[in-house]
Amino acid sequence: MERIDTLSSLEFFRPEIVLVLSLMWVLIWDLILKNRPRERRAVLVGSTLLGLVIALGFAFAGTDAPSMGLFSNMVALDGFGNVLRILFIVTAIFVLLFTLHSNELKSVHHGELLVLLLTATVALIWMANSINLLMIYLALETVSVASYVMVGYLKSDRLSNEASLKYILFGAVSTGTMLFGLSLLFGLTGSLDLYGIRSALASQEVVASSGPALMVVIVLVLAGIGFKMATVPFHFWCPDVYTGAPTPVTAFLSVGPKVAGFAVLVRFFYGGLSEPIGSANWAMVGSVDWQTILMVVSVLTMTLGNVAALTQTNVKRLLAYSSIAHAGYIMMGAAVLSGEGIQAMIAYMIVYLFMNLGAFLVVIVVHNEVGSFDVKDYAGIWRRAPMLTVVMGVFLFSLMGIPPFAGFLAKWYIFAAVIKAGLGWFAVVGVANSAIGAYYYLKILRTMFIDGDDTPEPTKPMPLQPVYAGLLFVLVVPNIIGLLLWGYLDQVAEYSKRLLDVVL
Amino acid sequence: MISLESYLVVAAALFSLGLYGILTRKNAVNVLMSIELIFNSANINLIAFSRYVTGDTEGQVFALFVIVIAACEAAVALAIIMSLYRILKGVELTDASALKG
Amino acid sequence: MEAIAPKIIFWVFAGLMLGSAFVVVHGRHLVRSAFALLATFFSVAGFYAMLGADFLAGVQLLVYVGGILTLILFGVMLTNRIYNLELETATFQVVPGALVALTVFGCLVAIIYNTPWSKAALVEEGPTTPAIGRLLMTEYVLPFEVASVLLLVALLGAAMLVRRRTDL
Repeated sequence: MERIDTLSSLEFFRPEIVLVLSLMWVLIWDLILKNRPRERRAVLVGSTLLGLVIALGFAFAGTDAPSMGLFSNMVALDGFGNVLRILFIVTAIFVLLFTLHSNELKSVHHGELLVLLLTATVALIWMANSINLLMIYLALETVSVASYVMVGYLKSDRLSNEASLKYILFGAVSTGTMLFGLSLLFGLTGSLDLYGIRSALASQEVVASSGPALMVVIVLVLAGIGFKMATVPFHFWCPDVYTGAPTPVTAFLSVGPKVAGFAVLVRFFYGGLSEPIGSANWAMVGSVDWQTILMVVSVLTMTLGNVAALTQTNVKRLLAYSSIAHAGYIMMGAAVLSGEGIQAMIAYMIVYLFMNLGAFLVVIVVHNEVGSFDVKDYAGIWRRAPMLTVVMGVFLFSLMGIPPFAGFLAKWYIFAAVIKAGLGWFAVVGVANSAIGAYYYLKILRTMFIDGDDTPEPTKPMPLQPVYAGLLFVLVVPNIIGLLLWGYLDQVAEYSKRLLDVVL
Repeated sequence: MISLESYLVVAAALFSLGLYGILTRKNAVNVLMSIELIFNSANINLIAFSRYVTGDTEGQVFALFVIVIAACEAAVALAIIMSLYRILKGVELTDASALKG
Repeated sequence: MEAIAPKIIFWVFAGLMLGSAFVVVHGRHLVRSAFALLATFFSVAGFYAMLGADFLAGVQLLVYVGGILTLILFGVMLTNRIYNLELETATFQVVPGALVALTVFGCLVAIIYNTPWSKAALVEEGPTTPAIGRLLMTEYVLPFEVASVLLLVALLGAAMLVRRRTDL
């Protein structure tokens, strides 16, 4: 595993450099065009989109580089990181397009939101690629600060402000606690580099005597990472923040930071607290059985998410609990310590992007017309917008995990990896949870089909912006033809299990 | 010579006090101050380890970045508190209770 | 005599730190807690100086006392009915909260004394600023740049949230 210094690392850093330049460009033009609102909006949105697309191009082009540690082992360049980099930029492009016609964001100026979105995207990429404790912490905090401001973006809306206050206070507590754990880990091993930590923990003297300390470190670090992934017991912020934030921001939060949290989980535990055996398997290092901890957290998370979603009446709150449950499923893939587990996680996260963003886009479209996020106000939408209902049905069936949609295949991938690792009971819990989950997704769909008693204009067709119609198409198609794209997804997942230390 | 453990114990005490503050305080600014205590306790750990365990300045660099991060978070937290205060000021209700749980 | 002086200074700073921290977390008046926090930050800077981190002690005073604490005090003064700004989340009563904190403290102390920390040979005392500067420009360049992005976004976000006109 090579590590290279600063100047030679820059050529592999093109997407990040493009994103940082874009955010500065947008910021400057926001000020220059202060008095010309119409041109300003076009220029800013256009620049952001262009920057994201160029970065995406560079990210695709950079996928054939060999694995190495960049910037003196601060960040990694490997298959895992490359796939996630593309995923984050794609998420940002979708969310950017979501903000264009959202009623919630109509009355506020978008300039800063675009800068925050770009910053959050580049920080997510850094977060998913960091292999040094300092870099992990710094990138995590950058994502967090950008998110706190995005959640509170609607300054005159009380819910938005409250959500952002809750988010920052919970968030700062959990990252502060994580920092304390990281400081103890530094003291135990004398190193801030994850691979240095691994060699220190693998040496015999440290292993024998540091069990309790390592346990404390793991609990504290899981506090911070678990907050970002919204797993139990650090999920409390999730429903309130998702409900209060403007919906495009909620959509971003449900994918971006969550996936990045899982990336940090994998890098920290597989890179720092395990050592590789064989070509893509890992064994724990140190005397704490954290694999069991991860399994327990996964079970608690999916169960709580599914059960709590059953009684929700606000669709954003329901989707928040649904995303908590999905975090539980993704964590199953992390707990098996194998290459198949990582592949399953990545495949699930890619599919999750398409189904979750799709569901949130439908929520945005319905809110634009109906003005409400209550499930009961979704009554009778079938008559006003039949195509929209069908599309939402696809997203919900995919989230449920019903064949032949992509969501089913993603779950299949995860359960297969778990069974292959010999943890059959774990897969059974996952299947049972999916069954529970079906109920609340079906409830939304059923409400959409049945007419409400007091719907004001039951047959007036619902207008749909062309941009949104295009986005819905782009998001729904992969869900439907998931089976056909399976080979391609498999290749991507195979490529992504190359963490820095995996020699294939 | 002061032992490493003495410094660590004081840092642990500071951490616990911060934790106590977070659990029992209802006012947002008080919670923010308790969070700053936690950041400081982690920094003491880092700098003590940097001196006793590694002998070089790596831990101090980490502590430097932590100070920067804490400053950013405090600024944004206070901005959010200000923004929320402005909204609640004109309203009868005094609690940020619209979002429960 | 020589060995006693460092210990006395240590205990003075530690006592000041923990005493003022107790006022921060338990005091009833917000302004009093804020000033107690000032004393805490000062004694932490004292600890840094005792540990040989001269640069960091200076930064602690500049940033924490001169920046963060001033910000908190401004925030407290400008929103003078801020005692109304309470979160309605579940908070502990004092006694259970104290029990949890004491348990955590007990666990941490047990771990601190039972872990054999590897002690390196102590490096000679001296100014740490050149060493930190060298690290920031060589190995830690990327975090340095990321921190500048973080500062930009924090500045932007805080300014945006606080300004009055919503149409800008």
